[in-house]
Amino acid sequence: MSAVSKKTEDTSVQQQLAELSDLVAWFQSPEFKLEDAFDKFKQAEALAEHIEKDLTKLKNDIKVVKKKFDTED
Amino acid sequence: MENNQLQFSVSEFVAITNQTLEYAYPTVSVIGEVTEFRISQGKWVSFKLKDAEAVVGCFLTTYQLRMSVEDGMKLMVVANPRLNNKGFFSLNVRAMKPVGEGSIKKGFELLKAKLEAEGLFAPERKRKLPRVPKHVAVIASTESAGYVDFCKIINERWGGLSVDVAHTQVQGVPAPDQMIRAIRYFNSLEVLPEVLVIVRGGGSAEDLMAFNDEPLARAIAESRIPTLVGVGHEIDTTLADMVSDVRAATPTNAAEILVPDRNEIIRAAHQRAGALGHQLVQAIDEYSARTREQLNAAFRRIEEKLNEHSDRLSALKLATAQLNPENILRRGYAFLRGEVAVGETIEIETVNTIVKAEVKHVSSK
Repeated sequence: MSAVSKKTEDTSVQQQLAELSDLVAWFQSPEFKLEDAFDKFKQAEALAEHIEKDLTKLKNDIKVVKKKFDTED
Repeated sequence: MENNQLQFSVSEFVAITNQTLEYAYPTVSVIGEVTEFRISQGKWVSFKLKDAEAVVGCFLTTYQLRMSVEDGMKLMVVANPRLNNKGFFSLNVRAMKPVGEGSIKKGFELLKAKLEAEGLFAPERKRKLPRVPKHVAVIASTESAGYVDFCKIINERWGGLSVDVAHTQVQGVPAPDQMIRAIRYFNSLEVLPEVLVIVRGGGSAEDLMAFNDEPLARAIAESRIPTLVGVGHEIDTTLADMVSDVRAATPTNAAEILVPDRNEIIRAAHQRAGALGHQLVQAIDEYSARTREQLNAAFRRIEEKLNEHSDRLSALKLATAQLNPENILRRGYAFLRGEVAVGETIEIETVNTIVKAEVKHVSSK
């Protein structure tokens, strides 16, 4: 199974950052288990890659509104 | 008296004078020093402009008054000259601005004190901007260098942002009203942008005067959308900056405040993931150390048990050895076999010999 799930593919950068924070928190929490840690680490690495990919490809959409402001309507 | 001279009633004369004025000087700009500045009934503003040799009256409504004025300030008024029905000539003021550094500063300080007294700069009014907005509105002159800088920086730093730009003048008499209309336009949208940004590059104090306009300052303060204002250079402070929720030093700085730097986020994401790798290695090391310690403890316990058993075995061996008949013979004792009765033959075994002997005498001890 790919480390980046289908769910991650569809989520925003913000959600991916939150997911990464959750993984970091898991490593500090009492739920930490060595058996699961490697998978979680691979997941975090894949998320970081995905965040980079998403952030790099995003472009801003800058539009000048058509409305004129030189006179009152 | 000549008959061909024009004759008017007073009303006709006033009307024709005004027509002539309107034709010859529909709008004039007059510079002078303010004296006798007054506001009546909260509605009417009157003052005189004077120079060394002349004085002229000026009128306007409080609605048209966009700055704070005090006697002694030097102003330029844009006005329509009029002769009123009471025979007083005056200038009906359409717009005005302070002239000269001293008057600009004075006007700024007076208005600043007024707005401050109303609490418009209070820190508790300031709203926070979203960390990563998705939809922002920008008011700027799209031809200005400040706007170009702003766009360049947001494009470098972030992506996926929807930016609606209102192109307005950012300098000169029409600028404040245009910016106010743009503020109202964005605030009237069904889906409000998350941040309203106003940017303008550097300029002289006079160039930036539009941002010290009272109605503009109030429109920024009243905006339902949190505001970010970046006007001029770092050293410039305008009233628009002061009433905004967040002040940026320059348009570039406004872009830096508005969006995070994607390169920093990417770096941080990789760093956080990498740190988990270190934590994982550390956890494995700790686990191995713990296991090794547990194994060592088990070996130590086994060793202790073995030693304990070995000691017991040695003691038993010693005890068994002491019971060995050979050892008794070695100590000089002898075994006696046979019937101990006079005339009988008995066998005596020592460590080295077996002796057969005849019993000669038996007595009790």
